[in-house]
Amino acid sequence: MSFLKKIEIKSKALLLKEFFYDYFWKKSSLNLGLASLIFSLAIIQFSTPQFYISATLRENKSVGSSSPSLGGGSDNLFSIVSSESNSFGEFRSNIYSYIIAQRMWEKGWATEIYAGGDKSIDVNKIDKPQTLADRLGSLLLGYELYDFYSPHDLQDFISSKVDLQKEIKGTNITVSMLTSDQNFGISFLNELMLTADKYAKEFLILKSQAIIDATYKQLSESRNSAITASLAATINKESLHIATLTNDLPYHIYFIDPPYSSEYPVTPNTQAIFISNFIIFIFLSVMYNFIRNHKEDLW
Amino acid sequence: MVNGYFRYIDYGGSLEYYIFEIANYSFLVLLLCLCYKLRFININSLIVWTGIFFVPLVLNYFIFSPSLFPDQFQYALEVMSLKSKGISIDAIASQNAQFSLNLGYLGSISIPTNPVTFSTTFLGFAPIPNFMTVTSLAFANKFFLFVSFLGLKKFFFKDENILLLFFLIPSLLLYTSLALRETLIIICSVFFLLNMLKNNYIISLIFLLPLFVLKIQMFAFLALYFVGRLVFRANNSLYMLVFFLGFILLASILLQDVILQIINYYRLGFAAENMDLGDGIYGYYAFSLYGEELAESLELTSILEVVFASIAGLPKLLLMPYPNTWSSIFYPIQFFESIFLILLYWSISVRNNLLKNKEFIYLSVILLLSCMLYSLLVFNVGTFVRYRFSLFFPFIIALYYLATLERGNKTKLLK
Repeated sequence: MSFLKKIEIKSKALLLKEFFYDYFWKKSSLNLGLASLIFSLAIIQFSTPQFYISATLRENKSVGSSSPSLGGGSDNLFSIVSSESNSFGEFRSNIYSYIIAQRMWEKGWATEIYAGGDKSIDVNKIDKPQTLADRLGSLLLGYELYDFYSPHDLQDFISSKVDLQKEIKGTNITVSMLTSDQNFGISFLNELMLTADKYAKEFLILKSQAIIDATYKQLSESRNSAITASLAATINKESLHIATLTNDLPYHIYFIDPPYSSEYPVTPNTQAIFISNFIIFIFLSVMYNFIRNHKEDLW
Repeated sequence: MVNGYFRYIDYGGSLEYYIFEIANYSFLVLLLCLCYKLRFININSLIVWTGIFFVPLVLNYFIFSPSLFPDQFQYALEVMSLKSKGISIDAIASQNAQFSLNLGYLGSISIPTNPVTFSTTFLGFAPIPNFMTVTSLAFANKFFLFVSFLGLKKFFFKDENILLLFFLIPSLLLYTSLALRETLIIICSVFFLLNMLKNNYIISLIFLLPLFVLKIQMFAFLALYFVGRLVFRANNSLYMLVFFLGFILLASILLQDVILQIINYYRLGFAAENMDLGDGIYGYYAFSLYGEELAESLELTSILEVVFASIAGLPKLLLMPYPNTWSSIFYPIQFFESIFLILLYWSISVRNNLLKNKEFIYLSVILLLSCMLYSLLVFNVGTFVRYRFSLFFPFIIALYYLATLERGNKTKLLK
């Protein structure tokens, strides 16, 4: 059993025991262990329980463009391409855009978010508290701070709270947010997604309308029958496009699972906070004793 | 372990995030203190590793957003899904990638062949208290890196302090501080090469096989090394090395169509991934719109063209990111680091008179061949700086081990 002799189990076990009594089995560990419980309780008490609101969506594939065939091994490549259409990117950009924040503002969401749902307050006159850093910045750079909330703040709120994730090589999109009010979260997320999608449709309708107007102009000047036929086909195509967009159905995405809330708050995670703080505080105690015992080695 | 305690919530850089991750850090430092007490490591290692373990805390959410390396989220989601539900996330589960081995009465073993599932299954064994955020996996990576340090110290290197210096290379600090599989790739490659140099072929094979799932190209490079050393004995004579290289060339010509198809497929894939047309049109989508001409220009049509293109691309691979492409703080660091690593490779070999050592020549030839193959695929700088490092680092460690063996032999002769 030379292998076991080499490991020196007995001496290692003694060192382990020594380590335990020298650094763990101390009054400071007990004190800090108890302090960790109080600290954890304080954190949990001061935290606001937050629910997880999420919706599962899927890209509307008919929106994507068809891919050219390159032959050879490229077919395999385009099997990846087909799942990577740009709808998600466009939808994401719309969600975080200023124009959507402005539309959400007009729908009165600022009252819900910044005025606690008090509808008697004018939406454009909700007082905005300024941080010390903001005040200092305005003082040094010589610009004025706004006294009231604006769509810019709502845009920041959406950017910081709403998260959009698409699985790599996957098809599902998850839109989620954490909020203390379940009902607010569900309605806000639903409204936000529909507004972003509706905006995309409006833009495309305007685009098609502009193409039709310009094509009509060309048509009136055209003398060539082939060109006239081609222009008429363009008008037909764009008119059909407008017809397909003029409805209440979502354009970029469709819902697999509409917004719903977790049954219980997901954060703060009490169990994890207690365990983590306990480990951190015990670590502090061990490090204190360890540094004290080994200061000669360490310095 | 199927445990509802682990659930993925995006804590961002909140207080809760720091509580969970500082707990992980504390746990690892406690482990370090224990190792010091048990005399597994010296005081220098204790101090340096305390610093190394701290790096994950200052990267994600602090120095940069974890979205800079978006793959991290997939790894984090997968490990939490495996721990809480015992199944993969939808995107991975739908691929149904696993290898099952029926052992008769003993039941069957299923090994995941999806690299994300495989690496997260392994990383999930790290005894850290929390798997709550993307940074938790970075701590799991650090744990396994430390275990590999202990292994290297115990079985291969006597001088702990010099070994410690290799673990302070910036790219190693960076990639092992993220929720990626680079750490596992590097560890397997390092132990494979060192065991090969020690003629432990069976143990080498044990470290080689996981690379088939983790990183197929690393597996291919090292399998080439394995075959050349075991079958052709290319490390013992220059004639055998030339014969081995001739064999590779002949096989490449005979299998030209298959090899070209694979190389062109990957060239196209990496080029498409990196294509950016502006206005938010990028990646595979951009390629699907305007990639036809690019595809034609990228296609390699003969092995000779492959050889020339790989030689021409070699300087770019070795020195990138070039100063004109520097777009983040990491790029200049990685540029100077790449020069430093090349000089280090050269310096170790010259100082230890390894230039005529057949083992060194064979090792360097394989490294060169691997770099040549990688140089054909360099389209995304960030990705290939990472790939290059996970290839180069194991060879540097192997070279240093070779140098210590050479020094040991000389000392024996002098006695």
